[in-house]
Amino acid sequence: MSAALQQHQTALTRTVLVVFAVIFMAPLVIAVLTSFKSPPELTQVLSFPGEFYWQNYSIAFSRMGRGLINSIAITVPAVALSILIGAVAGYPLAYMRGAGGKFVYFILLTGMLVPFQIVQIPLFFLVQGLGLYDTIAGMWLVHTAYAVPFCTFFMRNFFASVPRSMYEAALIDGCGPARYFWKLLLPASTSGLAALAIIQSRAIWNDLLFAITLTSSDQSRPVTVQISGFASSLQVEYGPLMAGTLVSILPVMVAYLVFQKSFVRGLLGGAGK
Amino acid sequence: MIPREWIPTRTTRTHLAFLALPVALFATFYVYPIISSVYLSMHSWDGFSPDMRWVGLQNYKTLLAQPRFFNAVLNNIAWVAFMLIVPTGIGLMLAAILDRGIRGESVYRIIFFLPFTIPAVAVAAIWRWMYEPTNGLITTVLDLAGLGWAAQNWLGDPAVVNASLMGAVAWWTTGFAFLVFFAGLRNIPTECIEAARIEGATSWQIFWKVSFPLLWPSTIIVLGMSAIDAMRLFDIVWAMTQGGPAYSSEVLATQMYDLAFGRFEMGRASAVSVYLLLIAAVVIMPYILYMSSRVQDSEAE
Amino acid sequence: MSKSTFLGAMALTALLGSSAYAQDNFEVWHYYAAGSELAGMNALIDYSNSQAKDAKFTGVVVPGNVVELRRQLQTAFLGGRPPAAYQSSMAFELKAFVDGGRLHPIPDVWEQIKGDEIFPAGVQRVVKIGGQPYGVPFDLSLINNVFYNVKLFKELGLEVPTDWDSFAKACSALSKAGYQPLGNAGGTFWSLYNFYSPLVSIVGEEGYYKIARGELGFDSPEFSKALDLYRDKMIPCYAKNWSGKTWTQTADDVVNGSTGMFMMGAWVAAYFEQAGFKGGEGFDLFQAPGTVGKSVFQMDVLAVPAGPEATIAAANQFLVAAASPEGQAAFAVPKGSLAPNVKVDASVYNYAGAKLAKQFSDASAKDAVLPNLFFLLPTALGTELGNQIQRFAIDPSDATKAEVISTLEGLRQEALANKAFIAW
Repeated sequence: MSAALQQHQTALTRTVLVVFAVIFMAPLVIAVLTSFKSPPELTQVLSFPGEFYWQNYSIAFSRMGRGLINSIAITVPAVALSILIGAVAGYPLAYMRGAGGKFVYFILLTGMLVPFQIVQIPLFFLVQGLGLYDTIAGMWLVHTAYAVPFCTFFMRNFFASVPRSMYEAALIDGCGPARYFWKLLLPASTSGLAALAIIQSRAIWNDLLFAITLTSSDQSRPVTVQISGFASSLQVEYGPLMAGTLVSILPVMVAYLVFQKSFVRGLLGGAGK
Repeated sequence: MIPREWIPTRTTRTHLAFLALPVALFATFYVYPIISSVYLSMHSWDGFSPDMRWVGLQNYKTLLAQPRFFNAVLNNIAWVAFMLIVPTGIGLMLAAILDRGIRGESVYRIIFFLPFTIPAVAVAAIWRWMYEPTNGLITTVLDLAGLGWAAQNWLGDPAVVNASLMGAVAWWTTGFAFLVFFAGLRNIPTECIEAARIEGATSWQIFWKVSFPLLWPSTIIVLGMSAIDAMRLFDIVWAMTQGGPAYSSEVLATQMYDLAFGRFEMGRASAVSVYLLLIAAVVIMPYILYMSSRVQDSEAE
Repeated sequence: MSKSTFLGAMALTALLGSSAYAQDNFEVWHYYAAGSELAGMNALIDYSNSQAKDAKFTGVVVPGNVVELRRQLQTAFLGGRPPAAYQSSMAFELKAFVDGGRLHPIPDVWEQIKGDEIFPAGVQRVVKIGGQPYGVPFDLSLINNVFYNVKLFKELGLEVPTDWDSFAKACSALSKAGYQPLGNAGGTFWSLYNFYSPLVSIVGEEGYYKIARGELGFDSPEFSKALDLYRDKMIPCYAKNWSGKTWTQTADDVVNGSTGMFMMGAWVAAYFEQAGFKGGEGFDLFQAPGTVGKSVFQMDVLAVPAGPEATIAAANQFLVAAASPEGQAAFAVPKGSLAPNVKVDASVYNYAGAKLAKQFSDASAKDAVLPNLFFLLPTALGTELGNQIQRFAIDPSDATKAEVISTLEGLRQEALANKAFIAW
């Protein structure tokens, strides 16, 4: 390929990237500007705030209150439990031969098709019956249980891409299947676990439906409930809503950045390169 | 006597032990609610009173006679097609470009992932402004570009509203496809690429002939999740249009919600959810199974 | 599995859960999660807490609207842990839960607060089911007013419209001057609320109640005429692209002077004030044509779920405090709504509030108050009415009109067969 052509191509791809970056950022810029607008300024959607109206942030913080802490207390263990359960279920399904494993896998996958709105009432009975209504532990259980199909799907596919020879070699060496999982497979799968952790952090952090149904007090309600409260009923408090949203996406971004690092490291040291 | 091959080996026993907890959770949190949905769907019930009237398959028949129901089914199918193609395609393209090692890569990586982290209710609020038909950003940009004629009544015109919602969802979810594809590309051994390059392949050829086939595991996940998200799509539609105007943007999950709580028709709402499950099973399961067997085949090679 | 086994299993699970649950703090569920709505609710709860001696109430926000609250309530009812009291709409919203055996009647509270004296007859009608009171009204908003931009009206020298002819004149003058004459917004409610004004023009109060009772068909010549009047006089005035806007976006257009008039519930006045657009200076209001001297209203009440005696006793204290003039004002003033209690002094209101309060008391004196039809009709029919009227407003063709009429009439016949209508 000639150097001129290559340069041409780089310019083209760079333009595509910039265009998409602008499209991706534009709505967020509006969100940031809005989070600094005073109520009278909100009637002008595309204006710049006259001055930084920090009250939106203080309203957001005071209303979100414990919500942020609750969200962290719910999300961190629930993410860990859900990726673990996905790995535990995905492992046998990736290695089992025969119709039995396929059948179990198929049944578990059907779970991904269930719209969560329909399970609310029976779910409420279950959680209440277990004495976990309005508790953070109840949220761990529910998020773990409802993550089974997707996390299994994800981890099974991931394990299936790990060379089978590794498994067979380990078994020949007298390493039991359970030992292989804990000592060899899991440590070699950090990249898959990290990717799944990013996806699960986002899903659990942003959950609203389970949170509204299964929690009622400030002691356990996550931040999403408060955020959607800003856009409730007839009135919408756009300023605090955007301020609250921007604050609440920070932890997910942090999770993304943290896991992304270990994720790449896992790849470099792992099966890949 | 039990045939010898029925006695599980140590490996099988371990495997079964691993499956016990996930399967138990699944049975409790999925199977039981689904059975109760099927049960409710055969009743006429407002959702809270003690009297529940058995109506057999009446709810299912009534729905089949309603244009409103078919409209929601068609919308769901359109969403599946859209989710399989657009966010996935854009995500793949962005990942492929970034994978070539562009300056500022990490910044782009954050930018493309950011919208995916925002809760649905905030996405809805932001995009209600974007789509404000006279002063919103999209109309304003079109006006400035001299394309004012292309501006639409984005969320108010029944003929346009679905496309508008899809635009917002593309913005919201492309980050997921991007993330998985980007990870997948990084997972491809450099030797494969180097070998192809030495043989004189262009980067275009390398991508389609070498990288893309090796992306199968990522592709399966992205496509599978997209199809599933499209079938059970709910919050963004509910938060932006509540299925309106006049049912035009309704999908099955929002219709179910409206029937159950907007009209106290719990039985009929359950019938919608059972239909949703069946349709999703017909549309998506063969695809998921095909995709998973592809993975197994490719390792077996 | 029989129904009784199923419900029995549900009840058993509920028992298991609730036995360990002692309520020391009483919850009041509502969906007023933001802005002046939240401020009003919090003020009301604070006031009640200051009055009730042995009970403390906490507001629990269910983000969303009446639909989300219903979902939450349903779960709570079946699970046997409803709140002590909750925000409910009027009429059929109460009736549905009364029929389900979920609500506790409040004749004692009603007697104690002298409900028959402090609430206008039109208000009482929609909180009593079968003669029994089931809710204490606390939040009333008129929905038959047109809000207009004073500056635009002055600039064009427009008279405030009083009937359909002067309304049409104002529309065409605004339109000629390059403004959008009349705002509206997408959603199930807003077109319907606008439609009440042509509807009342044609069928009068009597006909309005007849529709609510299922006596006047949607295939009647009167209903058809009302649709025609709506199509001739209001729909052509609507702002371009109205159906793609939220009500606050349209309110912004009025503030910014691009739209002249906006027929919306009284809560828009609170929104205007918050945006620095003052009543009497920036905006003013008039009763929509066909409803002059009458009041169409939307109202929320506090309802008490059936439950343990101690909870009900506490809830009763809450309701008594909420019905008092102080409690009613505590809510209405920050929220910008009207207090249903006629003993509340009119001086508590701001400019728009005072005007609306005057309208309401005049209309009450003539018994010309009309509760929101949406909640007088059986739930499924009311919801469908909202959807169909919006559909007609977007595409007012004869074909749509015929479909609107046949859809609604079909549902009316179904409701008649089920004896679902109520003689309000």
